[in-house]
Amino acid sequence: MATGEGKPHTDSLPGSSGFSHVRMPWFAKLTIEHRVLAGFSLVFVGILVITAVSYHNTSILLSNSRLDGRSHDLLQLLSNIDVAMNEAEDAHRRYLVTGEASYLESYTKVVHQKPAFTTYLRELTRGSTAQEQRVGVLDRMMDKQLNAESKAIALFETSGFRSVKKMALEGAGRRELGVIHQLITEMDSEERQAMNGRVADSAVGTRNTIGLLGIGAFLQLVLLAWVYYLIRHDITERRRVAGELQRRGELLEAANKELEAFSYSVSHDLRAPLRHIDGYAALLRKSVDESLNEKGARYLLTISDAAKQMGQLIDDLLVFSRMGRQEMLRTNVNLEQLIKSILADLRLDLQGREISWTIAPLPEVKGDPAMLRQVFVNLITNAIKFTGTRSQASIEIGVDRPSSAEIVIFVRDNGVGFDMEYAPKLFGVFQRLHRAEEFEGTGIGLANVRRIVHRHGGRTWAEGVPDKGATVFIALPTRSSES
Amino acid sequence: MNAAKPILLAEDNPRDAELALAAMEEEHISDKVVVCRDGAEVLDYLYCRGPFKSRLRGNPAVVFLDLKMPKVNGLEVLRTIKADINLRPIPVVMLTSSREERDLAESYALGANAYVVKPVEFHKFLSAVKELGTFWGVINEPPPEGSRSSHPHS
Repeated sequence: MATGEGKPHTDSLPGSSGFSHVRMPWFAKLTIEHRVLAGFSLVFVGILVITAVSYHNTSILLSNSRLDGRSHDLLQLLSNIDVAMNEAEDAHRRYLVTGEASYLESYTKVVHQKPAFTTYLRELTRGSTAQEQRVGVLDRMMDKQLNAESKAIALFETSGFRSVKKMALEGAGRRELGVIHQLITEMDSEERQAMNGRVADSAVGTRNTIGLLGIGAFLQLVLLAWVYYLIRHDITERRRVAGELQRRGELLEAANKELEAFSYSVSHDLRAPLRHIDGYAALLRKSVDESLNEKGARYLLTISDAAKQMGQLIDDLLVFSRMGRQEMLRTNVNLEQLIKSILADLRLDLQGREISWTIAPLPEVKGDPAMLRQVFVNLITNAIKFTGTRSQASIEIGVDRPSSAEIVIFVRDNGVGFDMEYAPKLFGVFQRLHRAEEFEGTGIGLANVRRIVHRHGGRTWAEGVPDKGATVFIALPTRSSES
Repeated sequence: MNAAKPILLAEDNPRDAELALAAMEEEHISDKVVVCRDGAEVLDYLYCRGPFKSRLRGNPAVVFLDLKMPKVNGLEVLRTIKADINLRPIPVVMLTSSREERDLAESYALGANAYVVKPVEFHKFLSAVKELGTFWGVINEPPPEGSRSSHPHS
């Protein structure tokens, strides 16, 4: 049962991972910085959208409430006009019947008010075409009504009550007043409708804003939580990696120390038996001096030579080991003076040799003077050694600067050279490309060169052609970096 | 001349000791050499205790001291000698395989009178030991015996 259930489950795994492989690549390629940036950008965009929409909705609300205020004013105005026009109609009739001046006064007051009514009406209906049109009609009707009534009053004053009796009973602008009433009712209801529409509109806008704010806040929280998770995850990961690196560094350092202690100890413990071999061979030679034949003497000599050679190897190994752990100085080293002093020291060894030197102007470099001296001593003595078979040897020391990041210095000779096939072996410890009887040496020189140059943060390489010559390059960084 | 005073050779390796003796023999001073096989024995000799209880009193003309020795190493012996008011005048020559800067520095800091690295090549070793033996055992005038206590603490 369990296995029956397990099988399809395990089968589905590669499928789901395959799916995520299809879906994930673009996302997996993003660095943590990009993901966090993307997260914050989304939050930022979300805030912008919410702000914009809220601003928009709020300004609609504001303008609606402003419009509402205007509508209320309009309604009030309409009702005032209604009352005023009624009043005008009423007053002029009473005046026509009674000739009482107070009625004429009331009427005249309405006539005076009329232009203000029109101005207010136009102002309060601006923007609404239907209402503006009605205002136009209303204005004309009010003019007509008042004109008719004014005419009736003028007639009354010139010709007396009889001539206006009919008008006094029916009203001069009765028809217009009816139209005015109707218009005012229409405008009133239209304005109320618009107000209701706006109220509904505002309610929807407010609901939308609240909804958007809620959903937006939720989404932003989710996004922020995601970004937090990413950062938190990254920090944990970095901390773990840093811890791991430190642990490895400590292990490496311990291993290095152990190795140095080991090579030191081996080197010293190896010296004693060598001294004994050489010593007892010498004692043996002394004690059997007379009876020793030529062969025996040669054997004893070989034993001594072998011991001495091994002693030399151990000494070289010790120097090599010391080069690796010695504290490094960092000062400006004038290579030109360095080479001059090395050549001066080698003067005695160069007696009887015909060597043409080509030494380019050399720069100052940053490094350990003693170590760099060792480098050039090794390179120059190698060049001298391997041109030993040349009647006219030539050695060139030059500078090459392919990039500003490093200075490349080379030592070129026209000596026996080497096969490029063996170039990778050249800088190994105790690696020799020539037979011992051809050229002396233990094969530590270039290994020391490489180790020192590496400790300066540089590189070494060599080019050679058999029987034509060799060039050894060292590249030192112009910006010092401790290793 | 200090013909009477012995040369103390502290050397744990019997072959090194034999080779050193062979060198001294060529200078006819090998009979003056007392060989100690470790640091503890050196101290026993200097303080006239253990197997050296009944030896003739007096400090050696010189102590040739190996660095790496069983029980008590060379630097510890050196420290003890130079800390003891009676032993301090004895010339101490470090005779060792080590060319380590650290060993050199510590030896001189503790008051070693000389530091000689044993050469691998026998003829160099031979001449080194011969010169050392002749200089310190014969030519050099050792400190007067007055500076020595006849009742060393045990």
